[in-house]
Amino acid sequence: MIQFKNVTKVYPNGLCALSNVNFTINNGEFVFIVGASGAGKTTLIKLLLKEIEPTSGSIIVDDMDLSSLRRKEIPYYRRRLGVVFQDFRLLPDRTAYENVAFAMEIVGAPLREIRRRVPAVLGMVGLGSKAHAYPHQLSGGEQQRVALARALVNSPSILIADEPTGNLDPATAMEIMRIINLINRRGTTVIMATHAKNIVNTMRKRVLQFRKGVLIKDEQEGGYFDEP
Amino acid sequence: MSLRSWRFFIRNGFQNILRNRVMSLASVTAIMVALIVLGIILVMVVNLDVMMKEMESKMEITMFLKDGVADGERYDLEKEINSWEGVYDVEFVSKHQALEEWKRQLGDKGSLLEGYTGENNPLPDSFLVKIEKPEYVNAVVEKAKAIPAVEEVNYSSKVAEFIEWLARAIRLVGMSLVAVLASVAAIIISNTVRLTVYSRRREIGIMKYIGATDWFIRWPFIIEGFILGVMGSIVSTGLVALGYKFLLDRSSYINMRWGYLGIFKLLPLNEVMLYVFQFSLLLGACVGVLASCLSIRKHLRV
Repeated sequence: MIQFKNVTKVYPNGLCALSNVNFTINNGEFVFIVGASGAGKTTLIKLLLKEIEPTSGSIIVDDMDLSSLRRKEIPYYRRRLGVVFQDFRLLPDRTAYENVAFAMEIVGAPLREIRRRVPAVLGMVGLGSKAHAYPHQLSGGEQQRVALARALVNSPSILIADEPTGNLDPATAMEIMRIINLINRRGTTVIMATHAKNIVNTMRKRVLQFRKGVLIKDEQEGGYFDEP
Repeated sequence: MSLRSWRFFIRNGFQNILRNRVMSLASVTAIMVALIVLGIILVMVVNLDVMMKEMESKMEITMFLKDGVADGERYDLEKEINSWEGVYDVEFVSKHQALEEWKRQLGDKGSLLEGYTGENNPLPDSFLVKIEKPEYVNAVVEKAKAIPAVEEVNYSSKVAEFIEWLARAIRLVGMSLVAVLASVAAIIISNTVRLTVYSRRREIGIMKYIGATDWFIRWPFIIEGFILGVMGSIVSTGLVALGYKFLLDRSSYINMRWGYLGIFKLLPLNEVMLYVFQFSLLLGACVGVLASCLSIRKHLRV
């Protein structure tokens, strides 16, 4: 469960990115965070990753207050989250397989476990045949699948996606969304920031809409339309 | 950390160095220069220390006695000198013995002294006093001069004092120089590591999102600094060894010209170089690791 309680974030330059935000996301939910550029989507995701601290209010993930996390505990907290970004963020000098295996190496998984798990996850995102290709040999959609596989390989309970389809053509974007939906149906909570209206309106999931840092709409099976 | 993690850190450390070849070379050169100076100083100090020890074992003072000192008084005097601090042996040399010794030293020409035997012997009786360490020499000399029966005191501590002064000066000046050069090397190494951190910032970011611990991210950079320091120490020891070998090969000539001093004797190559390598390796590795830690603290926000 993820809870934002009266969360406000003011950047040092005075910009108020989030203002008194309250919401609760239950386990297994699929939630779109939508809004125009500057609405506060990225700030919200950075707060969830504990990359930045809220100015006031508290964020609770799985009964744990993020503000009580000590610096040393942050990496262990992040291992419970899977993250994908618009720009994929793969290591360019490693193959698809190695990129995914790296996420397991970091958490100190045994080699036997890595050899078993990585091909399985790559197969799940439909990349089994390109496991040994380097990122530059893969299309954008394929790179995002590698990123998804990497996010999922350690079986996180929450998947956070920041504009995962932003760099992809519509057909490829839908393919990625199909995989993310599949992941959600297996029980993983999905939080996805996007401004792709067609995706939000096709999938009919819960929508949290922001405008200039204020949560203006929280709607089950919602849509995302042009603001008047 | 598992063995596999360490393999990853070490491989990454080497990759970092290869990625920044120019800066890595500059770093190795800087630490090498500092360590060469260290090496030269160590070589000098080690050799001078041994020379000094040799000198100290030969530290002798001769006290010439006035004519006509009675045997009893002489015996008391010998006992008294023996009790002084720093004196470990007193040997009485009669005027007769002194003449014989002189004759022996003259060898073939010993017959020149024939006319001075017996009553005509112009040489005084003397005590040959052996001293433990050069710092006792002055006190013993002062006390000896105060004794009425002693005519004159003869000692040759100047060379030993000079060598000791030289060793101390080299240590002081040299170590300050090493400290300065090591600091310069540390700055260059930390700059190199900073550049690597910069060129790897994307990867560092990714590692953080995946949940890599701070130390998992830091180790490759620390190893990078360590490798740079160790490489510098290997190269510098090699160069100092070459220089020392050159000196050793010529030391027979030096001994021929200066040998009469009886002190110029260089230690064998392996012994000295092992000593130099130990210190260079230690300093090189420490400077490398410290420099990268400094850089990480400042530039690797994990």
